[in-house]
Amino acid sequence: MFHFVDQILELDPGRHALGVKHVTPGDAFVRPNADGVPTLLSCIIGEALGQLGAWSVMAAKDFVVRPVAGVVGEVAITGEAAVGDSVLLDTTIDSVTDDAVFYHAAASVDGATVLKLENALGPLLPMDQFNDPEEVRERFARIHRSRDLTEAPQTGEGATVPFDLSFDEMLSFEGGKEATAVRTLSGREAFLADHFPRKPVLPLSLLLESLLQLGQKLLEGGDSRYVPTGARKVKMSRFVEPGNPLVAKVRVAERSAENALLKFRCEVDGDRVCVGQAEYSRVLGESR
Amino acid sequence: MNTDTIYPKVREIIADVLAFEESEIQRDGSLVDDYSAESIDFLDLVYQLEREFKIKVPRGMIEQEARRGLSEDFEEHGRLTDKGLEHLKTYLSEVPEDRFTPRMQVSLIPTLFTPETFCKIVLREMEGGEQAASG
Repeated sequence: MFHFVDQILELDPGRHALGVKHVTPGDAFVRPNADGVPTLLSCIIGEALGQLGAWSVMAAKDFVVRPVAGVVGEVAITGEAAVGDSVLLDTTIDSVTDDAVFYHAAASVDGATVLKLENALGPLLPMDQFNDPEEVRERFARIHRSRDLTEAPQTGEGATVPFDLSFDEMLSFEGGKEATAVRTLSGREAFLADHFPRKPVLPLSLLLESLLQLGQKLLEGGDSRYVPTGARKVKMSRFVEPGNPLVAKVRVAERSAENALLKFRCEVDGDRVCVGQAEYSRVLGESR
Repeated sequence: MNTDTIYPKVREIIADVLAFEESEIQRDGSLVDDYSAESIDFLDLVYQLEREFKIKVPRGMIEQEARRGLSEDFEEHGRLTDKGLEHLKTYLSEVPEDRFTPRMQVSLIPTLFTPETFCKIVLREMEGGEQAASG
């Protein structure tokens, strides 16, 4: 399952939407955090916000077009969502043109913001290239249900295989400086069935999560560790399909006593597919 | 105001959007051929320019403007007519002559765009979108 809006609570199509994502134990995108508490991957919270924006725009455009990931000006990670939490999703559309949607969004747990997206842009493309429009309408009807908040499902949808965030192979690795790694989707990854049924491609959210973790490895060492606090100027310029060897290069651009800024660039056959920056904050005295 | 005034900021935004160093951006370079701009980059670029200069650039404006006064004879089966080509050369006067090809596809017009093209667009919108983009 790669659908992260469990319910749309409020909708003003093409303008604003409120939704909810329940974090359940069987979720393929839940991982233990540094303290061992199972939490939802930050980038999946971002994905949920993007999906809520997509519902808003698709409803406004009568499901003829759908947005895909394009640019995210800023991702700010300010908290976590643990198993049992319900994440409130709040997405505001700044403008919609014939070819793109511009939006910003915030996710919160019990009133505290856990993740924000600013200056996000999604190109609008013909829906039928990606999904069966009827299926999308049906799903929309199922999740768009008044203000009565539904309970979280009792269990996750079966014991899903956790998504593997690692790269297939590290091509080079120089701790504290630069790493290059490659990953090729096999086509059998579970999320491809939903992203998208008619055009399986790597979601930007999962790519970004992999990059944030690769960057974290690059910064390891000594008596401190760095945790990702966000990303900037992330842009997906091409689709990555199964079989495409995705080469990711991550480089430490700036590093201080408190923070680190990494730049990344991903290519397929020499063509740029994704660029951006990742930000980290140093956590003292918690070496693992 | 002329395009020299805004070029430094436009160059900075273009370098940022296309992930190049500012020093690598040439004012008459082709964004597509020299800096590998993709369609998402054009969306991103126009959005960033709109935010920076507090303007609104109508979508598809460049092509519409280029056709102005030539709605009939501009293209034929998706390719530029001779008249259309001359019209476009005048409109995109900042683009080096040798980059225009006879009967080029209308869909390839964006491959001609240079940083200066975007300076002209910004300037025109700042001045109220009324003046032609000549010069």
